[in-house]
Amino acid sequence: MTLALHIPRLETPRLILRAPEPADFEPLCAFLTDPVRAWGFGVEKDRPTAWRWFAANIGHWALRGYGYFTIELKETGTPCGISGIWEPEGWPEPEVGWVVYDGYEGKGIAYEAATRAREWAYTDLGLTTLTSNIVPGNDRSVALAERMGATYERTYHNPNMGEDMLYRHPSPSALGLDTDSDGSPEAYA
Amino acid sequence: MSLPASVPVIETEDLILRGYREADFEAFARFAASDRARFVGGPQARYDSWRSFMAGIGHWSLRGYGMWMLEHRETGEAAGRVGVIYNDGWHEPELGWHIYDGFEGRGYAYQACRAARRHAAEHLGMNAIMSYIAPDNARSLRLAQRLGCWHERDVEVLGSPCQLWRHPAEEIGA
Repeated sequence: MTLALHIPRLETPRLILRAPEPADFEPLCAFLTDPVRAWGFGVEKDRPTAWRWFAANIGHWALRGYGYFTIELKETGTPCGISGIWEPEGWPEPEVGWVVYDGYEGKGIAYEAATRAREWAYTDLGLTTLTSNIVPGNDRSVALAERMGATYERTYHNPNMGEDMLYRHPSPSALGLDTDSDGSPEAYA
Repeated sequence: MSLPASVPVIETEDLILRGYREADFEAFARFAASDRARFVGGPQARYDSWRSFMAGIGHWSLRGYGMWMLEHRETGEAAGRVGVIYNDGWHEPELGWHIYDGFEGRGYAYQACRAARRHAAEHLGMNAIMSYIAPDNARSLRLAQRLGCWHERDVEVLGSPCQLWRHPAEEIGA
């Protein structure tokens, strides 16, 4: 059998969202094993478990048809974070997620990447709603979710993170990503 | 996308070694949650099982090989997993085996390991592969002996003591 891995390459003015490659592991591992920076995402205790997360993301793409893209900065060609659509076992519904690595914060990279990932999910995957799960106290992520137009909906128990807040993103039509008369979503942005 | 993602299918007398399907997850999770998984990082909560299941697929993409799902020909059920594991932190690629509840004692692990070992020798350039075995895993130690392996040395894997058993080389092209 073939594991279907159709991972597109998306662009924004400053970024490329692309399939993970083996060389992306080192910067991802540095992030995942940093207890301070990865606190709101899910800390991995060491390099082997971080590698499992890296492999699991590729498996997630194969099973779901979506997952986390590597965010590459066009100017330098370096990976500067991950963003994408995530729905492992036990998640309430698909979410748009984002991570920006050390040294790349404060430049609007997460906003630019997550907005593009959300647009892709609505227009290409045909998802009709999206959430973001944010751990209470992760104020930076709350600020970004709100900047993207998302609003707090409820607090629930996440199987990986424990107590978690669910933010709801605007619908495709509210973002101007309307559906054609033939029913297929299309971007006008 | 440069990562290879196809899983070869190998047929044996009672089993089909094939890639993962989402429907295999329930059998996978039952095994991972059971005491039978105590030698392979378990028992695991369902979320962690799901993550392992996804990582098993990603392993094929990242390494070009991995563990096969064993499909029991007669019933179509998932009977376990056998294949080559090279997770970060491993000394070298390993031939591993997990047999699910209800499929033990029928020689399926032996059958699948022979097929996987031959495949690794012929197609992956891995001859005289090794297997990690927990010192108190009596069943796996017996299987290793039946497969002609010998206890080469004691090692530590992810912080736990483990025996490294060496398989005999396959006669390639025979």
